[in-house]
Amino acid sequence: MVRSRFPFVLAALAVMVTTGCDRCAESGCDTPDCNPAATPYELEIPPFFPPMDIPQDNPLTVEGIELGRLLFWEKDLSADGSMSCGSCHLPEAGFADPNPYSTGITGSQGVRNAMALINIGWAPSYFWDGRALTLEEQILEPVSHPDEMALPWADAVDRLQATESEVNAAINYPDLFEVAFTDRIISPELVTKAIAQFLRTMVSADSKFDQWRRGELSLTDDEFAGYEMFLREGGDPETTPGGQFGGDCFHCHGEAGLQFSDYLFRNNGLDSTFVSDAGHASVSGNPLDSGRFKTPTLRNVALTAPYMHDGRFSTLEDVIDHYNSGGVPSTTVDPFMKYTTGGLALNSMQKNQLLAFLHTLTDTAFVSNPEFLDPH
Amino acid sequence: MKFQTPLCTILILGMTASCGLFRSEDIEPIPGTVRLETALQWNGENYAVGNVTADAFGHPFRLDNLQLYMAPVEFRSEDGEWVSSDDVFLIDYGEHGKNLVLPLPAGAYSAVRFGLGIPPEINTDIDPASYPNDHPLSVLGSAGMFWTWSSGYIFVKYEGKFALESGQQLIEPFSYHCGTDASYRMVTLELDNLLNIQSHEVTAASLKLDAAMALMSENDSINVEFDPVTHNAGGDSLGGRMMDFLVHAWSIEIL
Repeated sequence: MVRSRFPFVLAALAVMVTTGCDRCAESGCDTPDCNPAATPYELEIPPFFPPMDIPQDNPLTVEGIELGRLLFWEKDLSADGSMSCGSCHLPEAGFADPNPYSTGITGSQGVRNAMALINIGWAPSYFWDGRALTLEEQILEPVSHPDEMALPWADAVDRLQATESEVNAAINYPDLFEVAFTDRIISPELVTKAIAQFLRTMVSADSKFDQWRRGELSLTDDEFAGYEMFLREGGDPETTPGGQFGGDCFHCHGEAGLQFSDYLFRNNGLDSTFVSDAGHASVSGNPLDSGRFKTPTLRNVALTAPYMHDGRFSTLEDVIDHYNSGGVPSTTVDPFMKYTTGGLALNSMQKNQLLAFLHTLTDTAFVSNPEFLDPH
Repeated sequence: MKFQTPLCTILILGMTASCGLFRSEDIEPIPGTVRLETALQWNGENYAVGNVTADAFGHPFRLDNLQLYMAPVEFRSEDGEWVSSDDVFLIDYGEHGKNLVLPLPAGAYSAVRFGLGIPPEINTDIDPASYPNDHPLSVLGSAGMFWTWSSGYIFVKYEGKFALESGQQLIEPFSYHCGTDASYRMVTLELDNLLNIQSHEVTAASLKLDAAMALMSENDSINVEFDPVTHNAGGDSLGGRMMDFLVHAWSIEIL
């Protein structure tokens, strides 16, 4: 059995709590973005996590978060009233889509797998290609995208605004916006701000691995062996300097800040050409970014099948086999996929141990948290 | 749940709060500023990450990613005293116009020296999560440059592709990650002329790195064909050799 052994525990506890709008609480509102009618919300930063940078123009408030939750699950934000944001980010699938591609209201499909919504308040960019740099910017896209909810934003805000005069409306959105943002006039900007507030509260930090890190329980021998595999360099030390016969996972899915992602863009050897999807190159314009996609977090990875930007792998076993094979060489393949000529050569037992470790990252309390589920 | 913040952590945060790149409005009442403009070369010629060149063995060669840490950066005054900055700098040569901007007391300076990598006292056992996110040692600020709590940060990341022969597609990867306390090096550069720092003025110098020199010295060289990888958290010698080469890969010119 294995127990916590990290010497920097004390330092990791340094920044525990981020105050969403502490200036409001202390002295009343003295900035244009502060709202005296809303209640500041203190987001607890879990042990070992980095601070979360919350935009100064969108501080967390109790009312803003609850409004964001209503809007996230609001089907009236789709053209035919059949889909909400949550339709493609299912709790039971780790707030991801269990299908390789999400199907929009018209029946057309996107070109990439919907990313899991988990700890995304720490991400420095959004979408597989990183084309949005803020959550607020990211949220703008699915509502009006013709392959998704297909509702022009002008129509979306009109619908929400109209609830004010609907006698039988279950929710009077202008009232809620007024409390959350001191503005009864609903705009796309305020809608995205509210949803972003809600998404920033979707913090997962209670997986078995987290509990182990906090010294609350032990990992099994296989889980810990898998963790060690995760942290070891890949390759045969006889042929690869520094090789440790490991899984070589930690380079991109590092445990710094317990994010299990470096949030960088990488070509992990899926394809040799990138005609159908250039990845980050479509954003940066740099050919060296062809085939590069954002490293997703491994948190709740056992729940978020299928895998990769196009959902090509159905199981975690398929994913491990891909990395074990070394992937496909190309002009932009990541140097960490350096074993494209031989793979990691993990045996069945090692692969199972790695799998056991990945399952320790499942946080069932997160996906069943009633504060994140559909309130309608 | 109740947490306690130990004094050492408070001190760490206090020290690191002043780290990072200074903007001009931040430096009052510091008398002057020096701006080191980073420049990349290949065998003495200007070079940009992503361009195809050739290494000393004739391999078509392309550097895709070159990042390195520098800390501390110091200047030697006329009386021989080293004036130090506690800042930590992460230079990404894939980004254009990456400069080091430091406050410096007015005076004349005859040399600059800097640590290549992260000093041992802050390389390990400090959780990156304890830094603010805009700090180069933070979780987000060090993305891709942090190994583990015990091995610390990657001091130099030197990655790209090469081909075995001319005319071939560049698909062979090389990946040199140098780090660990034993790989920390100091680089000292004597200035041809005194660097004169004036109060409230910015003085610029060009700090040039010849990336080709990372793979060779007068008596030694690294052939990517046979030694394409080091991740020397395990202490192998290849990373140490590269760090030794890099000590002599720099030049500076007052602008």
